[in-house]
Amino acid sequence: MNTIPRHPVRWQDHASAILSGFLGDWLEHRANPLAVELQMMFEGQPLDPAQPQLAQPRRTLVLMVHGLTELESIWDYPGQPGVNYGSELAEVLGATPLGLRYNSGRPIYRNGEDLAEALETLVAEWPVPVENLILIGHSMGGLLIRSACQAGLGSGHTWTGLVESCVYLGAPHEGSWLAKAAHGAAGFMHKVPRDYLKVIGEVLDVRSAGIRNLSRGDILEESGALAPLLPNARHFAISGLLARQHGNPVNVLFGDALVQEGSARGANQADWELTDYACFPGIDHIRLTHHPKVYEKLKEWLE
Amino acid sequence: MKSNGPIQTLEDNRTASLKWWLGAADIVAVGVAEGASRIGRAHIAIADESFNILARFEVTRPVSESVRVVHHGISRLCYGSVGLAARAAQRATGHKPR
Repeated sequence: MNTIPRHPVRWQDHASAILSGFLGDWLEHRANPLAVELQMMFEGQPLDPAQPQLAQPRRTLVLMVHGLTELESIWDYPGQPGVNYGSELAEVLGATPLGLRYNSGRPIYRNGEDLAEALETLVAEWPVPVENLILIGHSMGGLLIRSACQAGLGSGHTWTGLVESCVYLGAPHEGSWLAKAAHGAAGFMHKVPRDYLKVIGEVLDVRSAGIRNLSRGDILEESGALAPLLPNARHFAISGLLARQHGNPVNVLFGDALVQEGSARGANQADWELTDYACFPGIDHIRLTHHPKVYEKLKEWLE
Repeated sequence: MKSNGPIQTLEDNRTASLKWWLGAADIVAVGVAEGASRIGRAHIAIADESFNILARFEVTRPVSESVRVVHHGISRLCYGSVGLAARAAQRATGHKPR
């Protein structure tokens, strides 16, 4: 296993990522420096898509996209900084592993537009011709990948034709029960004729646009709009479940803790044809990002 | 988008760190100002429930309204002062909406 040298992620970066997740659109509006900027990452360092400088650029790129309030370090195996699905797949596939860091509190469609632009620039400026793009997203990251694909298609970007596979890990394609609960609770509090309950509703309303998008899995500017999968690419979905027994009521209610199984595989999405789907009972939402069983499935699908 | 340009100097790191702390101070100041306003409203709304009950009884009715006025006045003054101080601190951080 190859260990990639990298600079450790500072605690301030983690704090910025968490605050950006909850208040990202507001932080951006205030020009607050804690708002995370969209950045491509390579070996723990920002990579300028317009001037990618690497020792050994490959023709296949594996891009890992984190979820709400997370950083690219979420993918690292515990106690092994720099070792993750991306670095392991890069060895197997002869690819360059990249990460993405972004303000997860912004509306998903806006991050999608920016990611699409960044990929178009990166592919154009990559030192060798890019032949394959593999996009792997966790939670909101999966929605962001779909949003970027839609934005790229709409803008006629060339990179969309290079996407070989998209993998969605615990992505709430049909919303997260927790985001739906927050939405419902805020609405209820506002209807009750008690000022102290309205205050609770107002506090819940402070949640970011990104979190609001998660209540329905919105990836386009228009709320609830249908979004097909990128044509000519393979699409895989993985879901986790809290309990080891598949039929356990806890799994039915909470899924992997945040995303229910049906939402993770887009069960009610019209015209969706996933190439394959896997479910891992006993693996929760966060552990989906760094679990050997999940890696084995990714390797089987992508090799 | 940030670039993988020249290696950051110690001065760059210090500037970035100072900006980060100013940003954090901005969030805390806004949080305290908005929090004081909302907690004040909740406090007064909860107190009103008690004063409304007191106003139903003949024994407490004569004084409940005047106590309510004094209570609400002091509460608004306290929460308002905290909010004012927080907004002053917020201006000191130099962050304004775009």
